[in-house]
Amino acid sequence: MTIRHHPSDDMLQAYAAGTLDEGQRIAVATHMRTCARCSGWVSALEQVGACMLERLPPTAMSMDALDRVLGRLSALPPPPAGAIFDDVPGLPAFVRRYRFGQWTWVGPGVHLRPIELPVDSPTRVFLLKAVPGTRMLQHSHTDLELTCVLSGAFRHQGGYFGPGDFDLGDEDVEHQPLVEPGEDCICLVAMQGKLRLSGLLGRLMQPFVRL
Amino acid sequence: MVVLVAERRDRAAFARLFDYYAPRVHAYLLRLRLDPVAADEITQEVMTTLWQKAALFDRSKSSVATWLFRIARNRRIDAHRREREEPPIDGAILDIPDPAQMPDDKVNAAQRDLMVRSALDLLPAEQLELVRLAFFEGFSHSEIADMTGVPLGTVKSRLRLAFSRLRRALDDGGLDR
Repeated sequence: MTIRHHPSDDMLQAYAAGTLDEGQRIAVATHMRTCARCSGWVSALEQVGACMLERLPPTAMSMDALDRVLGRLSALPPPPAGAIFDDVPGLPAFVRRYRFGQWTWVGPGVHLRPIELPVDSPTRVFLLKAVPGTRMLQHSHTDLELTCVLSGAFRHQGGYFGPGDFDLGDEDVEHQPLVEPGEDCICLVAMQGKLRLSGLLGRLMQPFVRL
Repeated sequence: MVVLVAERRDRAAFARLFDYYAPRVHAYLLRLRLDPVAADEITQEVMTTLWQKAALFDRSKSSVATWLFRIARNRRIDAHRREREEPPIDGAILDIPDPAQMPDDKVNAAQRDLMVRSALDLLPAEQLELVRLAFFEGFSHSEIADMTGVPLGTVKSRLRLAFSRLRRALDDGGLDR
């Protein structure tokens, strides 16, 4: 599988540094699951972090820190197993442990399935499924929208997006995706803010499209 | 050492790992501006995780330091949530990346570590310092401009330059496909 579209370098650095919000972290992790280039770079960045950590002058912990940890070790519960949600392939293991809502209809040929984040996040995360030939309404975003294709493909002014591809939309990007022929297109979307539909039809539709 | 912890549940080996790494993880958390008590507590959690997950650690894929950096980063995010009284998530599931997320075996972890170290050492001092502040210590670009007196535009361009040099060095080394 050839991946053509990747998260920005800033975003990969923020992932490695641990400064992305939960929703964005999920979108980037989903991309990295299939992208050897980005996952390789992120682990190199983690090594950069580790190297800097090892070079820090050590600081003194409380005197009894080791004893307290040793005391804890015997009483540790086994690591939690947790149910793995398995009917959407292509998601990182940690995301498959989150609670998924039901698929709901949001427009002709388009269904949405929310992923419930266990924490407050400025970013909402959901799966979006659209049948081939669906032309999404021309839209822009009030904030950042990250999309990672899990299966199928779509195309818009920015190019062709197939499995593993990562798309970034913000207020400056106005696009109208068209789902490619073949199979349903399923994407993981991490969206801040709201979708802004443009044109008269968009403004008329806005109250009905629950995004 | 981690193997001894994993296979024999060897507490003496664990204590040696603790003596070396815990004060460094602690120092890292202090750099991230945690208070000393919280840094102490999270460091203990990080080292406890090492004990718990030692069997899952694959040293051909990553060095102990990289693994601990990753755990410390994840535990800090969890702790930040506790502070805001959000329910904790099982952040632990992020400690061991999906196998698919790991680089392949063309070069082993030790070789990669060496490449990262030498790539860092080849950066000009002022670029290395910026990478440390922005990436490792988590300061925003404008905070760095204020702290160092370097204009914001220069901070951004030096950082871009630094990261692209690192990336090129590591790409050349076959780190990445």
